[in-house]
Amino acid sequence: MAVFEPEAEGIVLDAEETGGDIVGRSPWALAGRRLLRNRLALASLALFALIVAVSFAAPLYAKHVAHTNPFESNISGTITIDGKTVEVIQQGGGKLGLGETPIGPTWRSQYLLGADNQGRDVAARVLYGGRASLEIGIGSAVFASLVALIFALVAGFFGGWADAIISRLMDLIWAFPLYLLAISLATVLLTSPNGLTIGFIHVSPDSLWIPLVIIGFVYVPYIYRPIRGQVLSLREKEFVEAAIAQGASNLRLIFSEVLPNVASTVIVLMPLMIATTILTESALSYLSIGVQAPNASWGTIIQDGQELLYTRPWVAIAPGIMIVLTVLALNILGDGLRDALDPRSKVRVKG
Amino acid sequence: MRSRSLFQLLTLIGLAALVLTGCGGSSKKKSSSPSSGNAGGTLITVAKAGPSGSPDPQINYTLQEWQLLILTHDGLLGFKRAGGTEGTKLVPDLATAIPKPQDGGKTFVFHIRKGIKFSNGKTLQPSDVKFTFERLFKIGQSPNAGTWYNVIVGGDACVKTPATCDLSKGVVADDAAGTVTFHLTKGDPEFFDKLAVPFAFILPPGTPNKEVQIPPAGTGPYKFVEYNPNKQIKLDRNPNFKEWSKDAQPKGNPDVILQKFGLSAEAEVTQVENGQADWMFDTPPSDRLNEISTKYADQVHVNPLTAIWYMAFNVRIPPFNNLKARQGVNFATDRNALVKIYGGPQLAVPTCQILPPNFPGYKPYCPYTKNPGSGKWTAPDMAKAQQLINASGTKGASVKVNTDTVETDKAVGLYFVGLLNKLGYKASLQALSPDIQYPYCQNSKNKVQFCWSTWYQDYPAASDFLNILLGCGSFIPNSNASPNIAEFCDKPIQAQMDQALQQGITDPSGANTKWQAIDKAVTDQAPWVSLFNPKFVDFLSKRVKGYQFSPQWYFLLAQASVK
Amino acid sequence: MAAFIIRRLLWMFVVLFAISVLVFLIFFATPGVDPARQMAGRNPSAETIKSIKHEFGLDRPLPVRYGLMMKHMFISRDLISYGSHTRVIPEILSATPVTLSLVFGAAVIWIVFSILTGVGAAVLRGTIFDPFLMILALIGISIPVFWLGEVVNLVTQSRLHDSFLFSWVPPLGYTPLTQDPFMWFKQLLFPWLTLSVLYIGFYARVLRANLIETESEDYIRTARAKGLSERRVLFRHTLRTSMITFVSLFGLDFAVLVGGGALLTEVVFGLPGVGLLTYNSLTSLDLPVIMTTVVYAAFFITLASALVDLLYAWLDPRVRLA
Repeated sequence: MAVFEPEAEGIVLDAEETGGDIVGRSPWALAGRRLLRNRLALASLALFALIVAVSFAAPLYAKHVAHTNPFESNISGTITIDGKTVEVIQQGGGKLGLGETPIGPTWRSQYLLGADNQGRDVAARVLYGGRASLEIGIGSAVFASLVALIFALVAGFFGGWADAIISRLMDLIWAFPLYLLAISLATVLLTSPNGLTIGFIHVSPDSLWIPLVIIGFVYVPYIYRPIRGQVLSLREKEFVEAAIAQGASNLRLIFSEVLPNVASTVIVLMPLMIATTILTESALSYLSIGVQAPNASWGTIIQDGQELLYTRPWVAIAPGIMIVLTVLALNILGDGLRDALDPRSKVRVKG
Repeated sequence: MRSRSLFQLLTLIGLAALVLTGCGGSSKKKSSSPSSGNAGGTLITVAKAGPSGSPDPQINYTLQEWQLLILTHDGLLGFKRAGGTEGTKLVPDLATAIPKPQDGGKTFVFHIRKGIKFSNGKTLQPSDVKFTFERLFKIGQSPNAGTWYNVIVGGDACVKTPATCDLSKGVVADDAAGTVTFHLTKGDPEFFDKLAVPFAFILPPGTPNKEVQIPPAGTGPYKFVEYNPNKQIKLDRNPNFKEWSKDAQPKGNPDVILQKFGLSAEAEVTQVENGQADWMFDTPPSDRLNEISTKYADQVHVNPLTAIWYMAFNVRIPPFNNLKARQGVNFATDRNALVKIYGGPQLAVPTCQILPPNFPGYKPYCPYTKNPGSGKWTAPDMAKAQQLINASGTKGASVKVNTDTVETDKAVGLYFVGLLNKLGYKASLQALSPDIQYPYCQNSKNKVQFCWSTWYQDYPAASDFLNILLGCGSFIPNSNASPNIAEFCDKPIQAQMDQALQQGITDPSGANTKWQAIDKAVTDQAPWVSLFNPKFVDFLSKRVKGYQFSPQWYFLLAQASVK
Repeated sequence: MAAFIIRRLLWMFVVLFAISVLVFLIFFATPGVDPARQMAGRNPSAETIKSIKHEFGLDRPLPVRYGLMMKHMFISRDLISYGSHTRVIPEILSATPVTLSLVFGAAVIWIVFSILTGVGAAVLRGTIFDPFLMILALIGISIPVFWLGEVVNLVTQSRLHDSFLFSWVPPLGYTPLTQDPFMWFKQLLFPWLTLSVLYIGFYARVLRANLIETESEDYIRTARAKGLSERRVLFRHTLRTSMITFVSLFGLDFAVLVGGGALLTEVVFGLPGVGLLTYNSLTSLDLPVIMTTVVYAAFFITLASALVDLLYAWLDPRVRLA
């Protein structure tokens, strides 16, 4: 079954609307129209765009609104609320005066959501955290897609030994318990105290590239399998046979016949992939083997908040809410894209 | 007849009741004297995990296991089982008296008490002492065999070839006369301390010369009956124990001591609050401190420790091979912020020097503060700090701040990353797993510039801090076991240390005056940024009475009572 | 069929072997790791470290060390942990009931609720309930499980703990079923609910999508044309076909969880299961335990995927040729 079957539908839709002439449209345009009709998907897209915008505006918030450097400890600092000077981190009470607690949400421009154990502004950190989480989430999904695409094209198209070796390799990575592989790689790479040096590429241990590549690597088989399957079936299609009969080279075949069809699969998978990688990154950061201090991501802030859970719960709650909103938006968007591009698609990815 | 026999019966019952409750009745008062309080019951303690490392008493180096080993085993000498400074005194335990040094401090004759039985029924003999010390070398894994106990004649040979260890010349046991004579290669002012720690606790003959999975029979009032580091440790009473010295080894109060594992520190706090556990080994997490100090204040005890948290400079590589840079960072450090990170001024006291308060050789000294002179730290002096660092010419250097991944320790590291950046360096954090961070910092090959560390005393002797952590002999290049992380070696100061060690054999108080001067001299060289001296928090359940804190063994478990 | 089974099982062992070698290389190749030094305590002499190295075979070449470890793991079954110095296999065996309790309970809950939600949404298609249930399911798969656990703890252990709703909630931990069944249940209830939220969401969506897809198949149309009632159509035809996907996905997920995949839930709720053991061993670089837990987890996953493949092969003979 061809990936796109929508010619008839599109023509009907169009005719309904304009009540006039029947005009042919490209599959992409039709998909776009279907997507635009899906109001929920549009709303999620808007929400996601908003979150991205706000996260990347983090430096502006930190500088102009909160007047703080959220990466600098401010343990002995004080702020003024209603004319009173208040310590950012306050001594415990009672007979013994044990323990120190950071201030809770002030609901003002400074320390909107309160401070964490280092006296840093939580709201500003959550925004910066969004930047790191989104960079890694999107980056690793793109990385995984690119790598999977290349391997799937080679394996599916050329078959034979290439297919056998690559597919077996992918099976191996897929069989390796996902979280274990991620944790193992992260533990080892982060333990090498001088970072990673491959040839001339030197990566320091607190670089965001390390979690990005690890998470991307771990998810390659999940994208590889459906794409390879599709390439295999496309290879047998009449239009490919026709192109070969016309004398097209392998490369031309790949780029002009196979790739565009496969692209829609990748596009449909992308939002779901990003949702998954964001969740994985937050889990790794929560376990302290993802993003490293002093960088912040939503997962590391939840980790910071764990210590303060019973006294200052906002530190853990705020980043979690951001994750839920972002991942939810991506999931709805992913559903919408799939419905738009491929209403009868059987492609599913494990979330 | 009937009524009279009834009367007699009632009287009998009444008398019996009186007798049975009589022992308990009189000591209901809240007591702080040792071993008073009612006997019986089970002391339920909880910890996150079992003591790390081998269960073998001659290998394990954790406080967690040492607190239990002192209840099951004895050494020739012991630290007095009492709270406060009394607990730092040495008293004879299996020996009848602390011997006078002979032969310039190289020979000691111990008389062994008679009639002491192990929990397996065997009677203690002087030859058991020789057996114990030979085993210490034979098992090959005892951490301090080669550094502490090689002072015994034959010790060095035993370190080289453990399997054939023979200490006949160093530990001479005479079963008939009931004596053990130690011959040392040189005078050692800390030899008695070394005899009073669990590495040197006497084991029964027949204990295999390989690492054991549960501590063997001992002479103490309790014995190990279960040792499962994932589930629990259980101590029952030793039926063969008869108290011979209340100071050295008092009879314990609880009948059973239990230590259960697997809960997180948060859950442990809740269990103690609910009375489901009597004591938690772990420190209460910081977000519960406020809660326990307000709602359960009577069940919380805070005691100062002879311990220190510090950041070690590497004095041999840039930028901190420059004295001005080190002193500058010292002036800039806001020790109050670090105290806050640890839990507040009730839990930690800022310090600038090496030795902790109330330690032999301690005299308050703090040059790295605003308005120095009182010996106490008051505030950082940023102006002076900046001046020194500018003059040092090290500005702009990149520095890696090394800590482990435990929250509080990492927080200290993060503070310093920020501080160094503010002072003009390019600092970044390097957090390693706690299992590898300590040896990693020690190895000079890794070129660690600035490393977080802590030190808790082994026994109360100034050299345990100054010589072990900052002595020339403690720096071993390219080794994972080089406790002198700062790689500090100052020949004149070392000469002073050697003199003080020598003097300590015969004149401890004179030696301590020397140690004061050494502490001051080393502090001036700023091989560290000394941070604070921590305090220990013990959180007990409502029913525990008779709490005592010994500076050597901390909470004396068996001397509390639960009935 | 027999040839297919044998091939499949053979592949399973190849994968297990490859994974064990991979893990071994990952960790043993780590610089800065010196297990002998770790075990040696605070201030050991060089001889002590050397002696420990020899005792644990750490001074032998890599392939020999791998071979020794495999021998200790499978043949003599006396592999010793670097951290606790006790045998690894009993450690894992004592953690297994905890993980099994957690996973079985959660599985029961999520199977029941995902079927209800998925079937409900498909049946109620066209009404407001369909999108409503699906949004709930979407929210379910969007919540990080460890965060949800933290929030649940915040509410049940702290904020609302004194209210009648949650005063019965015991402190975090695990009590064996044989010791105190009531406490076992009370301590596991919220971990079960937390863990199943994600899976309810996922499986509800999968089931609904499958049901709707199958509905448009020709043979369903035929069944309706034959005059079968809607309910009959649903249960006898649509649901059955959809369950194949459901069961195969479930098998894989369940296997992952049994092998230690619920580690985040175990960490947050303080349950000493296989996941927590794995995580602790990874962060403390306790290599024997790492090897054993990884092989343990990989075994379940490869076994489940082999069984799923066999199931499909049995159902669809064309697959056997693949």
